[in-house]
Amino acid sequence: MIPLLLAHLVVAALCLAPGRHSARWALPFAALLSAATFGWLVSQSADILDGNPSTTNVEWIPELSLSITLRLDGFGLLMGLIVSGIGVLVLLYSMAYFGRREDLGRLAGLITGFAGAMLGIVWADGLLTLFVFWELTSITSFLLIGFTDKVPAARAAAVRAFLVTGAGGLCMLAGFIILTTSTGHTTISELVADPPSGTLTNVALVLVLLGAFTKSAQFPFHFWLPGAMAAPTPVSAYLHSATMVKAGLVVVARFAPTFAADGPWRWLIVSAGLTSLMLGGFRALRQQDAKLALAHGTVSQLGFLMVLLGLGTPAATYAGVAMLVAHALFKASLFLCVGVVDHEAGTRDMRRLRGLRRALPVVAASTTIAAASMAAVPPTFGFVTKEKAIDGLLDNEIGAIGTVALIGIAIGSVLTVAYTIRIAVGLLGDNAPGIDTADPDIDAADLAPVDPASIHRPSIGFVAAPALLAALSVIAGLAAGPVGDRIADAAASLDPETASKHLVLWPGFNGALLVSTLIVAAGVALWWFTRERTRTVDARQSFATVVYERTYDGLLDGARRTTVLTQSGSLPLYLAIVLVTLTAALGAALIAGATDSISSPRFSNSAVEFVVVLVTGAFAVAVPFSRTRFGAAVLLGGSGYALAIVYLVQGAPDLAITQFVVETLTIVVFLVVLARLPNEFSTAPPWAPRIARLGIAAGVGVTVALFALSASGSRTAPSVGADYIELSEPEAGGRNVVNVILVDFRGLDTLGEITVLAVAGAGVVNLVRAARRQQRRNRIEDSTDVVADAPSVRRQVGVWR
Amino acid sequence: MIRPMTARDPKWSVVLGATVTGLTPILLLFSIFLTLRGHNAPGGGFSGGLVMGSAVILRYLASGPAGTRTLRIDPIALIGAGLMIAVGVGLTSLVVDASFLESAIWKDDLPVIGEIKIVSSSIFDIGVHILVVGVVMAMVIAFAEADDEVRERR
Repeated sequence: MIPLLLAHLVVAALCLAPGRHSARWALPFAALLSAATFGWLVSQSADILDGNPSTTNVEWIPELSLSITLRLDGFGLLMGLIVSGIGVLVLLYSMAYFGRREDLGRLAGLITGFAGAMLGIVWADGLLTLFVFWELTSITSFLLIGFTDKVPAARAAAVRAFLVTGAGGLCMLAGFIILTTSTGHTTISELVADPPSGTLTNVALVLVLLGAFTKSAQFPFHFWLPGAMAAPTPVSAYLHSATMVKAGLVVVARFAPTFAADGPWRWLIVSAGLTSLMLGGFRALRQQDAKLALAHGTVSQLGFLMVLLGLGTPAATYAGVAMLVAHALFKASLFLCVGVVDHEAGTRDMRRLRGLRRALPVVAASTTIAAASMAAVPPTFGFVTKEKAIDGLLDNEIGAIGTVALIGIAIGSVLTVAYTIRIAVGLLGDNAPGIDTADPDIDAADLAPVDPASIHRPSIGFVAAPALLAALSVIAGLAAGPVGDRIADAAASLDPETASKHLVLWPGFNGALLVSTLIVAAGVALWWFTRERTRTVDARQSFATVVYERTYDGLLDGARRTTVLTQSGSLPLYLAIVLVTLTAALGAALIAGATDSISSPRFSNSAVEFVVVLVTGAFAVAVPFSRTRFGAAVLLGGSGYALAIVYLVQGAPDLAITQFVVETLTIVVFLVVLARLPNEFSTAPPWAPRIARLGIAAGVGVTVALFALSASGSRTAPSVGADYIELSEPEAGGRNVVNVILVDFRGLDTLGEITVLAVAGAGVVNLVRAARRQQRRNRIEDSTDVVADAPSVRRQVGVWR
Repeated sequence: MIRPMTARDPKWSVVLGATVTGLTPILLLFSIFLTLRGHNAPGGGFSGGLVMGSAVILRYLASGPAGTRTLRIDPIALIGAGLMIAVGVGLTSLVVDASFLESAIWKDDLPVIGEIKIVSSSIFDIGVHILVVGVVMAMVIAFAEADDEVRERR
């Protein structure tokens, strides 16, 4: 497993390497890796499904007992097949979708990086391993949502998705840390084998659930998912319907069989899941953009899956795993179909589309089949799995909450049927929903129907992926028996009791079929009565989005206020604060007893020293009396040079050289900077009269001097100096012990210091260049006298460059 | 007042220009000398780098931003190269199973030159030298940009 994950990293890096240069080889190259992953998983499947998980453990940071622990069990295998299989299809589909776009290397690299991270999530056994891959998918998702980074809405959606899922990830990390520290277990398999309980465990589990809810777009964190549709459609199909949003479900599925029975787990799962199921369903009914309708539908379906996988009963878990597969197949197919329509007809607005049945027959057929699977119509796999789910919930083993779940899922499924028909009819029907002319927000001219004759014919490669996924939805339905047994073997790694479960295409006339029939009938009726509704609900005005926006703006505003409060911009004030703090801290230490070690110092050791010290002091005393900045700088330099001589006299030539060179550079820098300032000192600010300035200066001088004396007299451990001198030549091959200390004995310190220097230097250069770019841009804007809201544009550009 | 100038500047100093032109090669040689001798005698990469950096600053003082731009070296490249050399030395000692940054010593007798001794930490010091030059150049670039800004505003 590790080599495969590393291969994803390497391939991602190779694909990203060309940057913005054309790299058409990147997509097939990345698809090759996904295909190889798929093949490897298939080759392993017989053994794994027999119940022999393969585990890998790599020490990462043994000092912190951190290791990368992976475990390929049946569920991990199944998820891995989904991730890699749909990955291959999406990457091949992208070749046709993007055509000759320039930055395909970036797309392929990011998708591959994501696929690697996603495989890490589904294979992770170590809690921290899981967290690391979890956050990696958040980052790649951020980059992919904002892939068309010139669109402000895409960038905002990317930030929103990242903040929500990232915050959830941190909650989950906190939960994992509580679980690890309270039990000593660092892997999921250990936790499941020896489950803790109690209040602390419940707190941890709630935190883990928060992470899962944000990732799987569950209420109240569902709002980022529709925004994420700003990503290119292949990315939406892959990340935001088939794989990444399932990461939360994966975690829930692994924990639920053990932890669902106690504490608030089931109620949290059921309330969040059912709310998402219904909210998503309602929203999906009110969209005109087919892709957005699918996105809201995904929120809804994820809610369904969350309930099933979170209940923790064997029946629900088994149905949940099966539906997970069904959902991945039909939802990816639908997204890819919408992508073809968008590409060939130029719009996804269902009000404008007509005649697609004749223009895009393969897409129409695929859409119909996938939609049938989504609405749970026989003989599709969606039907088979939903039967199983309802059947499992009818055999209620868990009391009231099971009943609530069943009723909620039934109502949600009615909505699912209704919006599925709406999407299918909207895309493929000839009677597009009428245009609400009374709505002032709608411009009828924008909604002119697309002429079917103008729709391009997609290539076979373009429609192959959605068609294959749709075909699989039917094949899996017809072969429900054997497929169900494989899924039972896979789900057995979550809960051994599921091993005996089966799927059947035709269960006979039973309670579940009755419920399903009622659901479909009610769904058709609901669609019929709402089919004329054309007013769209703007997801941007939804309550959750508003709360998010307020919080986000409030945070930034608070930060701005704090900055204004603490950063006055006055250099004298900053200096005064720093110096007074220094005096207070050192003074407190001295008063607290550090004065004991102060020895009465000798003024000088020799006549030469006496003179040099006198000169140093004289220069220093003269500085404040200088009327000009230039003079002060030179006097300061004189004091520095004199100090270099003190070092020389004391027998430290290295220090002297360094002091001398640094002093020279400092003076030169002073001169260059002073050339831009008025020659005379400016008048002191009113809050700092002469007496205050004198006080601060005297305070700093006295405390620093006393502290230096105290520090040099307070040695408790023996000096290592003698050892250094002794070891310098034999150990490090150098006779200059000062230099040997710098580059060998304390080489790591030096490395740290030069790293700081490097960061500072690179920072200076980049700041200067950024300011330069900004100026140039401003000048262009000024000269062409563009757009009234240029400042806001500029601010955005400034943030995002 | 001393201020950066260009040849077109009416206050351009011929004396300063000539002095810097003569001084530059000496400073460059001296800085390399300082760094290389550092292992056995006073000197070292930091002071060596600063001396080489002061040559760059002198050039800037004598001929202004235009003079520094003719160098055509990206300071970030220098900074990165220096840091990479330093880290590389440390990692190399890890690879050969010594502790991070532990010195290796090579001794050999070469014809004509005589005995030669290379210590891996000297290479580390060369990295420090290059990095420090890069940082000083970064400072000079900041000055030069400020000059341009002043000129454009006039």
